[in-house]
Formats: sequence, structure tokens, C-alpha cells
Amino acid sequence: MAVRTYLKPASLSEAAALLAEHERAVIVGGGAYLRLGARSFDVAVDLFDAGLDYVRETDDGLELGAMATYRMLETDPAVRAYADGLLAQSVARIVGVQMRNIVTVGGTVFGRYAFSNLTTALLALGADVTLHHAGRMTLETFLARKPAAGDILASVTLPAEGGRAAWQELTRTCNDFAVLNVAAVRRDDGLRIAVGARPGMARLCPEAAAAPARAGETAAAELDFGDDVRASADYRRAICRVLVARAVEEVLS
Amino acid sequence: MRIRFDLNGRDTTWEVDPGETLLEALRRHEITSVKYGCDTASCSACTVLLDGDPVPACAVPAGRVDGHAVLTVEGVPDEARRLGEAMAGEGADQCGFCSPGLVMSVVAMCRTSDAPGELDDETIAEYLAGNLCRCSGYVSQARAIRRYLEASS
Repeated sequence: MAVRTYLKPASLSEAAALLAEHERAVIVGGGAYLRLGARSFDVAVDLFDAGLDYVRETDDGLELGAMATYRMLETDPAVRAYADGLLAQSVARIVGVQMRNIVTVGGTVFGRYAFSNLTTALLALGADVTLHHAGRMTLETFLARKPAAGDILASVTLPAEGGRAAWQELTRTCNDFAVLNVAAVRRDDGLRIAVGARPGMARLCPEAAAAPARAGETAAAELDFGDDVRASADYRRAICRVLVARAVEEVLS
Repeated sequence: MRIRFDLNGRDTTWEVDPGETLLEALRRHEITSVKYGCDTASCSACTVLLDGDPVPACAVPAGRVDGHAVLTVEGVPDEARRLGEAMAGEGADQCGFCSPGLVMSVVAMCRTSDAPGELDDETIAEYLAGNLCRCSGYVSQARAIRRYLEASS
């Protein structure tokens, strides 16, 4: 990665001002994915010192700062206690502790990576995303369209009630990307099921959530699946039935 | 760009390229314990501690560490020697390329644990899952780390 000017704002508002000033600047969140590309940037704005590396419980729910790392999701007591530790489970086998110390919640969500485990878990939990300019919206809304240039993801907020949750994924080797990942969450207001790495972007399965007894086959029928280097569409559809059924069985037990 | 940071306990000021990684900057300044392995943050041969947390230096922009603390094997000579001796004693050190990254990861694991000597094998294996070794098969490394942890506590 080639960069001409590297900037490290000390706050979110300072970062926003820098992005307004440098229209084509790139935001550096964790940086792990960005550095794999051979791209050139005039200006890089690194959020490392912008005070966004926090997890806090608010009246509104559990708030994850954009620069909260995967490792923080694994070690923070409030996150571990929330929804049967679903977030920690979803990231626990991603590469290693070293990688999980740099990969961030904001970098993952803002990047809208279809391979992501965390995005699947956040979708099932009913997360909201707060952008500096566009404000607060559901994660589903955020994933549906590309964020405006110059906007910054400030935080991700989860509802105060965590509920019961279950995580299921299939990987070809222990620390590889998932062939398919599934999160199920049960709260007083009902069931939410999300399936990701299909290999397309994670999606909710409202029909499966409305038919818990047949959730596996219903999810496999309502979603579309594709081929990639890890598995075929047919294989993914077949394991979707099993993983969704297992996750639902676990949250209903 | 100029960065000022704590390197192995010493106040350090370097001129770095705004696009280079911490790994490149460290090796250019002759901190050569930090190994250039996969260059995709997958193997952890380049593990250093950034403010105490183990990170792959190949995925950290050099500019990021301005105002922060970086620790490498050069900064933990006593721990590196004792772990190195345990590794040699168990036949765990073969080509040695992954050893500095493993040392830094074990150092971080010890520092974040209340009782390192009591860590169970599963916890150790999970913590060190990112440190790839193509020689040992990990069994001898696991014995060496257990020996080191018990001697350290």
C-alpha cells in the first residue's frame, strides 16, 4: 500500500474534518484488509487514536466503538455476558490472537465483507449502526447500500436485552474463513436467524424464524447460495439446513 | 513522516514512509528479530507487542505507532533466553524462523494471565493458534512452553 500523507486524528470530529478536507482519503480502521491491496492513496486517516476503541453499557444497550477490536469482544466481561457470548463465539477462531488484536468492529461492518462472521452475529442480534453524518440506522439498512464518501462509522449498538443465542459455522480448517455461518437469537419478541458467507452478504431469514420447527429447510429455501473456492452452492444449501436447525434447537432448548 | 514512540523501553524517533508497515520499518532499523513471513497477517512470525497486545507487525502501519509502545524480542532478553532454552531442551527449535514471534506471543500470554503456570493446554493452544510453525508439529513446542510456564511461576 502506498500512502503520501498519513494522518492520525485525536477524535471523531477531527477525523470527519480531515475527510471533508481530503475528498479521496481512505479511512484506516483495523488496517488488516486494506494493507493486502496494492492500492495507492494520497491521504490515509487512521482512527487508531480517535478514542473509538471502547465497549460500554448504556441505557440504550451495549455500544461497541468503531475501533473496538475482536479481542475486546472476546475479553470484555459485558460482551461475554451478552446473548450467551455470541459475539465472542463468532470471532474466537479467526486466524489468531494477533490478528484479532487489530481487526475492528467498525472496519468489519463498514467494509461490508460477505465472508464476515461478526456481521452475521450482529445481524441476528438486531444491531444498529451509527454513522457520523448519516446518523443511526439498522444494520440491515446499512448493508443494503454503500455509505456516502467521507462518512465514518462511529459505533454499533445492540439492544439492551441480549436474549438466548447460538453460533454455528463450518470451516475447512480450524482458523479458516467459514464455508457458511449461522447465528440465531431468541428474545421475548421472537426469533432472529442470520446466515452469512453463502458466499454472499449475510441475510436474515424471516420465514425460517417464523417456522422454528422447520427452520433449517425453510432457511435453505428462502436464501440463495453461490459457488466459490471453499464450497459449491449445493453444498452450502445442504449444510445450511443442518446448521440453522442446530442453532434454532439450541436457542429454543 | 516522523514518528516518536517507545521501542523496547527507549524513547525513539524515526523517519518512516507513510505507506510502510511496522515490520518494514523495524527491519530497516535493524530490529531483525521480527521476521518477514507470510506478509498477510496469517503466520504471526512478525508478532510484536503494541501497548502490550500481540499484533502482526506486517499489518500495522508504521505511522500508527507514533505515541505508542512497541516491544520486540530485543526488549525481553531474559524471557527470550529462558524460553529459547526450554525450546532447545525439548527439541522444539528447528529452522527457528517462527521462534521470535512465538516468544512475543508467549510473553504476552504470561503478562495477561494471573497465574501463567496454571494455564491449561487448551487455553495455551487457543492463544497461540495464530503462530504457525512448519517444522515442529507443535507437540515439542507445547512441551517447551509448559516447561517455561512452570519454571516462570
